[in-house]
Amino acid sequence: MHTGELSEGEAFRLIREHAYSHEELPDTTWRRLIELQILVPTEPGSGLYLLAEPVGRLLTYLFDEASPTTPEIVRGYIASLETLGQQLLSAVETDNVTFVGLAFAEINNSLRRIHADLGETQRAVQNEVAAFKTNREQISVRDRYRRIVYWMERFVGPMVEIVRPDGPMAAVFEETERLLRIAREQSLFNDHPALERNLRYLRLVRQHALRVFQECRRELQPLYESLRRSSFIAAGAALALERLLHEGISKWGNTLVIGLSSLRVQSVPSDAAITLILNRVITHPPEPAPIMTLDESPERPAALDRRLWLDSLPTDLANVIPVEDLLFWLSQHYPGRTTAEILTGFSRLFFDEQFVATFSEAGEQDYLMADGALRGHSLRLEFA
Amino acid sequence: MNAPQHVREIFEKLARGSHLSPEDEPFFSALSANFADYSEYFSPLGFELIRHEREFFYFAPENPDKVPDTLPRIAVFAYVLIDHAANQGELIEEFLLGRNFLISTLPHFSLERYTTLLRQVDVHDTADLKRILDHLERIGWLKWLGPDEFRFLRPFHRVFDKCLELSSRPSGDEPADISAPLP
Repeated sequence: MHTGELSEGEAFRLIREHAYSHEELPDTTWRRLIELQILVPTEPGSGLYLLAEPVGRLLTYLFDEASPTTPEIVRGYIASLETLGQQLLSAVETDNVTFVGLAFAEINNSLRRIHADLGETQRAVQNEVAAFKTNREQISVRDRYRRIVYWMERFVGPMVEIVRPDGPMAAVFEETERLLRIAREQSLFNDHPALERNLRYLRLVRQHALRVFQECRRELQPLYESLRRSSFIAAGAALALERLLHEGISKWGNTLVIGLSSLRVQSVPSDAAITLILNRVITHPPEPAPIMTLDESPERPAALDRRLWLDSLPTDLANVIPVEDLLFWLSQHYPGRTTAEILTGFSRLFFDEQFVATFSEAGEQDYLMADGALRGHSLRLEFA
Repeated sequence: MNAPQHVREIFEKLARGSHLSPEDEPFFSALSANFADYSEYFSPLGFELIRHEREFFYFAPENPDKVPDTLPRIAVFAYVLIDHAANQGELIEEFLLGRNFLISTLPHFSLERYTTLLRQVDVHDTADLKRILDHLERIGWLKWLGPDEFRFLRPFHRVFDKCLELSSRPSGDEPADISAPLP
C-alpha cells in the first residue's frame, strides 16, 4: 500500500493499473476519490495528495498490516502516567472529585493505548519475520542481516528493557496502582467500576507487555542468529575473492585456502620393486674381488710424468721471460714432446695468471715438432 | 597396542586428505564410537585426527611451504558459490547443504567477475569445474547423484569455518566478534 505523497499522475497510473472494469473512466474515479476525501491535498492548492488518515487506518486493519511502536512512544506513555499520578494525588488531597474522575479516565486511555500498541508491535514483528523467511524482495543476505539487526536494536531489545519486571514501566505501574487505591480510600470519588477497570488494565498490560516482547525476541532470535552466521560466512568469502581480484593468486598463500592433509608418497619404491632388487642380489653369480697392485712400480707412469712437466713449465719460463715466441720456445726447449703435449703446455702458460700474452707483429711462422709441424702467428709472453 | 578396526582403510583415506562423514560407512561409525582409540593410534605417527563439531573426521592439515594448485581452485570454487548464495539472500548453509545442484546451473560463469576470478586459478570452462567437483568427491565433500547432479556433504563445513575465520579478522566493516551477545 502506498502511504506517502502521491501526485495526480501517479494516482491516475494506479487507477488504470487496478481498474476492475472499463465502465468507469479514470477521470470519474479520480473525481470520486477527491470528492469523498479519500485522497486529500497535502496543503491547499498542492498537486500532491495523501491518503486520508481514517482510510489509511481502515486499510491497515483490513490488510492486517501493523506498525511497530517505538520505545520512545512507550516511554512517553510511562511519563504521561507519572504526570497523571501526580495530578491524581493532588486532586485527592484537595478532594477535587472532578479532577480525580478525569485522571481516572485518562489513565484508562493511556493503558488501553499501550495495550493496543504493544499488540500492533507484535504483529509488525511477526509480519517482518515472515517477510524475512520468504525473502520475497530477494535482498542479499548481508542486507537481511542488517535489517534484522535494526529490528532487534531499534524495537525489541530496548522494549524488553522497558517492560521487564524490574524496569521503568513496572515501577510506574506500581506507583499508579498505589495512587488509585489511595484515591478510592481517601476521596469522595466513588466510581468503583472505573477503579477496578484501571487496576485490571494495569495487571493486563504489565503481563501482556512482557509476554509480547519475549515472544518477539523468540521469533526474531533464531532468524537473527542464522542470518548473522550467514552474513559472516558471506563476508569471509567476499573478502577472499576481493583479495584474489586485487592482489592475484600469488598473494593468497596458505591463509585463504582450506588446508588438506596430503601424505607425500612420491618416489617411494613399491614392494614389487624391492623384491626384484633383492632377487637380483641373491641370484647374482659369484665372482672374485678385483685385485689391487700395492707394490711401487719401478717406472714413473707417463701421466704423472706429463703432469709434473706441465706443473714445472711456469717456473722454467719465469727464468727466461720475456719470450718473444712462446710456441717456438716450447718446441726448442722440449724437442721430445709431441705436438699435443706442446699445445697443452702452450695453453697452460697462456692461461697462467702471472703471465700476459700478446701477438707480435711478425707474420706467419712454421714450427717443427717431434711428430709434425704447425703454422701460426708468434705470441709474446711476459710477466703480468 | 591392538590396531583399531578398519585402521588401514581409514588411514589411507584420511592421509590423502579425505574427510569421513556418515556417507562413509563403516569407517564413520568406527571413528564415532572409538574416536579416542584412533586418535591415540595416529598421534605417534604424526597425524592429528580432528573430530569436527558437525560430526565428521579428518587429519589436521600440515602447513606446506608451497600450496598445491588444487587448494586455491577448491577455495575459489566454494567462495564463488557462497557469494552467489549471499547475493540471492539465501541462508548460506541451508542453501548449500540443503539441496541438490546441477553442473549446468552452477553460477560460476554467470558473471564476468566470477569468470575473471576462476581464470586466475586456471578454471576456464565446465570441464574444469567438473574436475574440481571430482576432487571434492575424492576428499569426501561431495556426492554425485547422477552424471550432472550432486550434493555437498557435511565436511563442506570446512569452507564455512574458513570464511568465519576470515571475517572475524578485524577489517572495520563488520563486527569482529561473532560470538558477541545478541543486542
